[in-house]
Amino acid sequence: MSDKNDGPARGQEPVPPCVAACPAHTDVRGYVNAIARGDFEEAYRIAREPNPLPYVCGKVCAHPCEDECRRGDVDEPIAIAALKRFATERHDLSLGHAPGLTVAEPKEQRVAVIGSGPGGLTAAHDLARLGYQVTVFEANEELGGMLQVGIPPYRLPRETIDLEVAPLKELGIEFVTGQRVEDVDALLNDGYDAVYIGVGSHMGRKLRLPNVELPDVWINTEFLHRVASGEKIDLSGRHVLVLGGGNVAIDCARTAVRLGAVEVSMTCLEGADNMPAHDWEIEEAEDEGVKMYPSRTFKECVLDDDGHIAGMRCVQVDFRGFLPEGGLDMDEFVDTDHVLAADLIIFAIGQGPDLSLLPEDGSIAQTRRRTIEVDPKTMATTKPGVFAGGDAVTGVGFIIDAIGAAHTAARSIDAYLQGLDPAALQPPDPVKLGDLQEKTVSHIRPLDREGMPKLAVDQRKATFGEVDLGYSEAQAVRAAQRCLTCGAGATVDTDKCIACLTCVRVCPYEVPLLTRGTAEVVFDQCQACGLCASECPAKAITMTLYTDEDMLRDIKQAVDMAAGNGKPAIVGFACRYCAYAGQEPEVVKATLPENVQTVDVLCSGKVDALYLLKAFEYGADGVFVAGCLDGECHNEKGNVHADQRVGYIKGLLDEIGIGGARLEMFNLSPQQCADMTTAVGTLAATLEELGPSPVRRH
Amino acid sequence: MIKAKLKPIAEIREMLAPYEKVLILGCGTCVTISFAGGEKEVGLLASSLRIAEAMNGQAKTFAEATVQRQCEWEFLDEVAEQINRADAVLSLACGIGVQALAERYPDKVILPGVNTTFLGMAVEHGVLVERCRACGDCVLGQTAGICPIARCAKNLLNGPCGGSQEGKCEVNPELDCAWQLIYERLERLGMLDRMNLFQPPKDWSKDYDGGPRKIVREDLRL
Repeated sequence: MSDKNDGPARGQEPVPPCVAACPAHTDVRGYVNAIARGDFEEAYRIAREPNPLPYVCGKVCAHPCEDECRRGDVDEPIAIAALKRFATERHDLSLGHAPGLTVAEPKEQRVAVIGSGPGGLTAAHDLARLGYQVTVFEANEELGGMLQVGIPPYRLPRETIDLEVAPLKELGIEFVTGQRVEDVDALLNDGYDAVYIGVGSHMGRKLRLPNVELPDVWINTEFLHRVASGEKIDLSGRHVLVLGGGNVAIDCARTAVRLGAVEVSMTCLEGADNMPAHDWEIEEAEDEGVKMYPSRTFKECVLDDDGHIAGMRCVQVDFRGFLPEGGLDMDEFVDTDHVLAADLIIFAIGQGPDLSLLPEDGSIAQTRRRTIEVDPKTMATTKPGVFAGGDAVTGVGFIIDAIGAAHTAARSIDAYLQGLDPAALQPPDPVKLGDLQEKTVSHIRPLDREGMPKLAVDQRKATFGEVDLGYSEAQAVRAAQRCLTCGAGATVDTDKCIACLTCVRVCPYEVPLLTRGTAEVVFDQCQACGLCASECPAKAITMTLYTDEDMLRDIKQAVDMAAGNGKPAIVGFACRYCAYAGQEPEVVKATLPENVQTVDVLCSGKVDALYLLKAFEYGADGVFVAGCLDGECHNEKGNVHADQRVGYIKGLLDEIGIGGARLEMFNLSPQQCADMTTAVGTLAATLEELGPSPVRRH
Repeated sequence: MIKAKLKPIAEIREMLAPYEKVLILGCGTCVTISFAGGEKEVGLLASSLRIAEAMNGQAKTFAEATVQRQCEWEFLDEVAEQINRADAVLSLACGIGVQALAERYPDKVILPGVNTTFLGMAVEHGVLVERCRACGDCVLGQTAGICPIARCAKNLLNGPCGGSQEGKCEVNPELDCAWQLIYERLERLGMLDRMNLFQPPKDWSKDYDGGPRKIVREDLRL
């Protein structure tokens, strides 16, 4: 490569916004694209690599990646979390929990990890892979921290946690459960060379209001912990009011529904439009009958004549947020005093960490918010050798934040134990791709986001059965095919480019430019349709995710598989947007006879004329390209180009004498699944008449 | 640029019939842009020929290479080893490249894979048209930037002829009449009086008729 065009691909390569937004920087684009191609094990491998908790994250990650997804500029973001879940569900456990995971030579140094929540498990995982002797201390009997004792099983079945823990045990991590660490210093004195504190935020709290000490005023964390521990709490006939508007409050409310409460309500300071809980959580709670009373401040728990809780006296407010020093920035509306009736009140107004394990000498400093103070770049506390992350540092946060912090801490611990500065092994912050330009957005075909199949509301209310049921294969493939594969499109070899302008002319998204005498397929904007690469007469353009070499290997394999069973060997290039008509590709392929093998492509426009000839050169009797109907191409006109190429190669095949009739293009509607099978049958009949390919005869 | 078109496969095969080891050599400049002889076309032709030969049970080999410009010896030398290994080289360059190869490798059989067709441009993707005849005595200054030598079937300097019909040429009704185009453009430029200027007979000795031409820049010679 010359240095004529040193665009963004040089140096630190910008990453897609989803990857940048993920605190663990998971290669989202990689696994979503693998699902779109039907390579589900590869998707799992990619999703697992930076994240020891892919099963958990697939189900309950707050998915900040989706908030940044550029598909959102066109219609709705890619359903990234649901796709990660699909990849984990499809993973064949007989291949091992984490195939291909590397582990360094064992080291003698010992690291204690306090807490087995997502952060603790991640730190332990990373350090064990680096060869350190890791012991995880967990106060509860079961591993998982908040995953185990906080998140209700209707969102996260406990078997999911078991799936995550199993490979960690295989890594040789020692787990000590039912043992609360009372003193960090004691661990250091016991010979641990470093400590990671990931104790989470398990201490809920009440406001100091009249009557809050009565037995029917509960605290979120204690309530959820009791339920998670299997205690049979019967709320039938109860009227429950949850105070708070965050995700934990929603968990409390929906748990109360499942325990038989006749009525469950939530009330919070925030207005209906800015409740801290995720929109989809609020929606699901409302579906289950939870009533929302936003924009209220709480004054006292009111009692009935018998001295039992009868409700919460509230006043309506305009709440604008919390002041830096901790007060509330709000105005109360006059004459809005009212009582929200309830006989059980649950406080879910935030929670903090139990920091009683920190040394009394203050050598591990705390913040004003009573969390552990760390250097955000390294997660190092103020005591050498002691690191911390997750909710104990940030207050209540997301699982993936804790995972990200634990990765950082593990690298710091590794550096520290090698005698380096804890910051020495930290990678630079990723550089995020820019926004999509409007003209490119205008060419992108809108595609509906796949809805997540859910348990029926009636069933939900009666059990702790999992609400989200996961995508079918067909849904997952459709959902993944919506991905714009940001930043993984075409790249130009500027040494080979002769500025012929073909890419500029054929790109449906108006992306390529001429820069300093050669073409540049603008990294930020390319939609990876592949047209420029297939059309480039200088072969100066290659696709990042599926190269010519990958394709030719797959074609050869398909020909070999199709041949040798007494029938014409047919190889098809199947556009995954249409050829399988939204059905499960593997099921459709199973309906094809074994002499018909397909090579899947994301858009028929990617089928280079050379691939067609190569299939014949390798010995195919017949070849087809299955693309979308006119006007329905995912990439505007990829199918038109494919059709033209098929026509050109048919002419060449006639000239050669092998016969252009051996090659066909089928244009299929996504609604007409049977068409591919029928069309292939017609081609097969033609091939029977033509007889075997003379290439194969020899 | 120079525009070319792949020869019919049958003609190529006939030329290659005596040779076992063939190098198909593309050119990375004009013929690449005219979709006739770049790396992509080399691949397509090689695959086509392999299929054709395999059909007949032949064991020929077709090696592939593409150089930046076949009309420069220095670029040809980059593939000297491959050229020397081949029984024959099928050049997908224009006639200049083929001859450069023949001059540089005097003992090697060099064959043309494309027909060098004209000097022209793409008016749309995939549609190439002739624009220049390299006549050696440019008249575009008198003809509003439209060449009557390359674009008038009769090379008329004082057109149009009587065969111009509704803006089309009598030789081929798909062709625009060059003189109609010249007229319209002069009108647009407010220079229609140019039509009255008589163009004297052209000195065709500057064209091919004077034999192979040569340009010498004494100031540049080494």
